[in-house]
Amino acid sequence: MGKGDGGTTRIAVCGKGGVGKTSVTALMVKHLSKREDLKILAVDADPAVGLAMALGEKVKKTVNDIRNDVIAMAQGGEKLSTPETMDLLDYELLDALSEGPNFAFLAIGRPEMEGCFCRVNDLLKGMIETLSDKFDVVIIDGEAGVEQVNRRVMKQVDHLVLVTDTSAKGLHVAETIRSLARDQEAVSARRVGLIINRVRNEREVETLLKRTTVELLGWIPEDDHIRDQDLQGRSFLDLADESPGSAGVARVVEALGM
Amino acid sequence: MGIFAGALREVRAFMKNAENHNVREFAPLTAPAWPAGGDKNLVMAADVGVELGNPREESVSFVLWTEEMAEIHDGRITLIGPDIQESRGRSLPFGKIVLVGGRGFDEGNIYERYRELEALRYDLDLQGYMLRAASVYQKEWIRISRAAVEDGFSFRIMGTELIKPFRRKDYIDAVEVLFVTSGVEDISRLKGIATGVGRMIAAMGKMVDELSMDCDTCEYEDVCNAVENLKRMRDRLMKGA
Repeated sequence: MGKGDGGTTRIAVCGKGGVGKTSVTALMVKHLSKREDLKILAVDADPAVGLAMALGEKVKKTVNDIRNDVIAMAQGGEKLSTPETMDLLDYELLDALSEGPNFAFLAIGRPEMEGCFCRVNDLLKGMIETLSDKFDVVIIDGEAGVEQVNRRVMKQVDHLVLVTDTSAKGLHVAETIRSLARDQEAVSARRVGLIINRVRNEREVETLLKRTTVELLGWIPEDDHIRDQDLQGRSFLDLADESPGSAGVARVVEALGM
Repeated sequence: MGIFAGALREVRAFMKNAENHNVREFAPLTAPAWPAGGDKNLVMAADVGVELGNPREESVSFVLWTEEMAEIHDGRITLIGPDIQESRGRSLPFGKIVLVGGRGFDEGNIYERYRELEALRYDLDLQGYMLRAASVYQKEWIRISRAAVEDGFSFRIMGTELIKPFRRKDYIDAVEVLFVTSGVEDISRLKGIATGVGRMIAAMGKMVDELSMDCDTCEYEDVCNAVENLKRMRDRLMKGA
């Protein structure tokens, strides 16, 4: 894909907690943002908001903060029409973006408070979709499952990327997410693929692949540099390209056709 | 003279006061002013050449109309403060007021027309120009890309393009635009006018959107009593209720 092709490629990254989704997402942003012809939007749909640190960005305001402000305005007696609410959300969303070198970052924040605010939620989701359309690539760092992606970010993605480590548990969760996405139509994905993370040798990959039918997008070797970045709380954007983990993610990005 | 007669007088007084400052007047360009932006017209922070009305700066934007055509200098674009080319790399406080001369505004259509006129700002599709607006705050936030600044983007171009969608409305005969970039103080003065305008709009909205017509408990009673069109709009709705 390239500038001017008109489309937006949406990628949701999901998997069991602790398998390295956020590191993989951050490294995908790192590689894609090197392409000056692409505008990238990184969305952190995990309430823990770990992607911000991995990208070296500060969270100014989350989508949930915006939502709560609008609800508070309504509860305080402010009468907002639908067009007024829409342009207000659009304005606040741009203000909530942290803008890095050639990418923008948006944090969804903690799950919404009790109560039914469907109209605000629907409008907000619609505005996130509209904002996403302006970018060439949208990468969503999801929670374990795809439900949050569907409920809070968007219903349709092009690539559902399932991340697992070499554990049977990680693979099982990835399989479950795939089934849920397919059977319950939680998120519609054009392509579902698997990334095996923290691989020590190729035999581990072969063993896991015997137990799954999910298409393998690539595997990422265990990398002490990634552990160090994590440990020091440093941005993954600063990780050397030649580090095994970074190079592994670069191959995945290529496998996704980008 | 209509619902916004007072506000229009205040805007004219503001413009007159500014006469000793950096004021320029332009006529709209006759040739196509600027290429279209397209679907992916996004100006990211790293690409910004000039920013107007960033949420951290002052900003104000509103539309006023009148049926007195003599009150509107059709096609005039007035700029108070520095132009885009003189502001490279800067973030400026921003004011934008569109003054419209039109026909057939009555209590049955003024609220709908207000919404329609407010939304016309979104018709501007200009390469390297990105707008976000919060009508509830009467604010606009505009980013102009570095490339657009390099290519000569100006308030004259912006004004030319802004006038076009207003002119396409069959009930509008004259459009004038005022841009203000001169400083926080000037924007604050305009915000004072905007507050009054906003209360009138809110009163209209309340009459249209809410069933309650209990004027004694309404926070906009003073506005409705003071403005003839609003009074008529209220009476009409009450009769129909």
